[in-house]
Amino acid sequence: MLTAVKNQLRVCLLSIKYNIMREMLNKVTFLTNICFMMLNNASFLVQWAVLFRLKEDIGGYSFREVMLLWGLSASSFGLSHILFARVFSLPELIINGKLDAWLVLPKNVLLGVMTSATRTSAIGDLLYGILVVCLTGFQIKRILLFLLFTVTGAVIITAFALLVGSLSFWFVKTEIFGNQMLNVVISFATYPDGIFKGAAKFLLYSIIPTGMMVYQPVHMITDMDLGGLLMVLGYAVLLSVIAAAVFYRGLRNYSSGNLMGARV
Amino acid sequence: MNVIEAENLSKTFRVKQKEKGMKGSIRAVFKPKTEEIKAVNGVSFAVEEGEALAFIGPNGAGKSTTIKMLTGILYPDGGRVQVLGIDPTKKRKQLAYQIGTVFGQKEQLWTHLTPYDNFQFFGAIYDIPDRETEKRIGELTEIFELSAFLNTPVRNLSLGQRIRCEIAASLIHRPKVLFLDEPTIGLDPVVKENIRFLIRQMNREFHTTIFLTSHDIGDIEKLCRRVIIVNSGQIVLDDSMEHLKFADASLEDIIMRVYREKGKEEPAL
Amino acid sequence: MRKYAVIYRSVFLENLQYTMNIALGLISYFIFIFVFINLWGYLYAEPGTRIAGYTREQMIWYVMITEMLWFGARSGAVAGQVSADIRGGNIAYLMNKPYHYTLYILARYTGEWSIRLPMYMALAVAAGIMMVGKLPGFGLPALLSSAVSILLGVTINGVFKICISLLSFWIEDANPFQWLYDKLILIVGTVFPIEIFPEAMRPFLKMTPIYTVCYGPAKLAVDFRMDQYLDILLAQFLYLAAGCGLMFFIYEKGVKKLYVNGG
Repeated sequence: MLTAVKNQLRVCLLSIKYNIMREMLNKVTFLTNICFMMLNNASFLVQWAVLFRLKEDIGGYSFREVMLLWGLSASSFGLSHILFARVFSLPELIINGKLDAWLVLPKNVLLGVMTSATRTSAIGDLLYGILVVCLTGFQIKRILLFLLFTVTGAVIITAFALLVGSLSFWFVKTEIFGNQMLNVVISFATYPDGIFKGAAKFLLYSIIPTGMMVYQPVHMITDMDLGGLLMVLGYAVLLSVIAAAVFYRGLRNYSSGNLMGARV
Repeated sequence: MNVIEAENLSKTFRVKQKEKGMKGSIRAVFKPKTEEIKAVNGVSFAVEEGEALAFIGPNGAGKSTTIKMLTGILYPDGGRVQVLGIDPTKKRKQLAYQIGTVFGQKEQLWTHLTPYDNFQFFGAIYDIPDRETEKRIGELTEIFELSAFLNTPVRNLSLGQRIRCEIAASLIHRPKVLFLDEPTIGLDPVVKENIRFLIRQMNREFHTTIFLTSHDIGDIEKLCRRVIIVNSGQIVLDDSMEHLKFADASLEDIIMRVYREKGKEEPAL
Repeated sequence: MRKYAVIYRSVFLENLQYTMNIALGLISYFIFIFVFINLWGYLYAEPGTRIAGYTREQMIWYVMITEMLWFGARSGAVAGQVSADIRGGNIAYLMNKPYHYTLYILARYTGEWSIRLPMYMALAVAAGIMMVGKLPGFGLPALLSSAVSILLGVTINGVFKICISLLSFWIEDANPFQWLYDKLILIVGTVFPIEIFPEAMRPFLKMTPIYTVCYGPAKLAVDFRMDQYLDILLAQFLYLAAGCGLMFFIYEKGVKKLYVNGG
């Protein structure tokens, strides 16, 4: 059992390594992509600098905290796309029947598919997040917490993408819908939760995973509490389990590439 | 001993019908019309250990669907299937350790890595100890004559070299059954001949069972000792190559005739 | 002119098939509106306050209109396609056709946005009336003037994006420049009006495409004044003329370079 886990992990790490190596073939493009993404994230500081001229706190956040929020969103999104970029294009694989290659290998299908691609610019996202947390208060504890929540955030956004992506096993049209849902999560993730009230707030802490992905963690980086931490961890685990279950249930409906042939 | 047993195997696809025009598109959103297509319709056969079988049929006859059910890619809707005594739907991973697959143009190799690194990667996938992987790479390099480009990135190889590497990679774990779906498609005659020779050698030396689909009469004639022809999801012929060769027509003529006969009864998909 | 109308029509009909997909895209826009309503709602905590001379209703409607233009004028034709045509060598076939390549792209672009924009507009109006309330003082002059201004603004946007894409004749990847332009519009131009910036920066911002592409149309809708209308209209015509001139100039230069160096 333990060797099986070890072997599985080894294959996943090899895949991730090879993905990144492939991106590095063109060094100039590789570095430009990373730098541009960092610049891209930083450019939004302009927007916030202007808004904070109007009021000193926005939704209970100071400028520094909004930076941290942006940083955590970027690094979670980044980590998720470095390791599991393929999850975000899962509908394309399902609809065009491209899962065959992983189904004939004696390893976990889901992990095999997930780790089969990377996105270079995501490295820029991750670096930006780490840069931000270091610049907004260089304390070891803060940075460690930030890294922990980067991991949980990455797990949550990946699981959510897997969940909405797996709907393509049943409905072909859900591809765009799934992408829109991901956009929703990301759009919310870069604005302070304090500006939302009532039903919106409730949704953000339940079926829209933004709350557990970034809001709750950002609060805890300034103000640690164990209950909140357990909630975030529990949410990440629960969402992952549900997403994986939906994926595997959907896999039974998978109809491989030759469906296209049958359509003639 | 039977390595493959299929009994009454069936698979139905539900295909959406789209009507033409704006009205049709709108109607399709609310009330999608679907049509059922029986890709595989009650197929039964058994393959013995060490056999070399050609599983052929016209496009859309259900060969790929069958091969995909045998390898655990697709779930059958009905019937029973066992490969090496294992049910692919229940123990997919366990089966995967013992079978090899080469799916035509679909590439399983990392194109930016060398064949050597690729073999190492597949060694890790099949849990082969490093030293053992090294030994097998040596063997395969010799059999498939890969030494000249073992350390050249796959993307720089010719198609023939690449296919040789693909097949070698699918043999790294010494599978007991090798599934080949159009392995020689797009290759020149010399390379084709070369690949056929290698597959035949695998079959003879290691007693590897060969399950081949191909549109290439040469592949079938030179590799296989038994032929199954499917059409419209059903088996229409199952005979030994020897027997077919004694018939008064060439293999090609026989195949053409069988394809056509079936075509008259039921319109092709 | 007729041939461009035919191109427009065929792209329009082609995109009509994707109405369902575009409709799903409205989800993102709606979320943006929702976020900004909340954001500005928070910043306008006390009723009756004005920020940079705008009431809460005006501010939110302003943002809704600029975001509507941003989402509605998104197009594959003016950015990705032009670059791909040039880098991929497809341009060699397209430039010998009996139409001007840049106008051909502009016709395609118009075919794309004239489906998208009305859909976003419908959502903006519906969501605005329900969640923010009617714009006080919005009448026929505001409607007509902003409609004209939107038409011009979206076209200017297309012309600028084509100009940037045409740089692909010389550089490997024009995307970084597209990106800079988009960032300028999105971050500085859509979230708040120009008046929110310090006095010293405003004349400079008026010189950027922001003034003609997003500020103009939105400002006229939320706060119509005749003198300002003429001002914006003049700026838009100047921008359009200069932009088109630049577009033709870059294109001719690029094509010449292509003839000299080969595809």
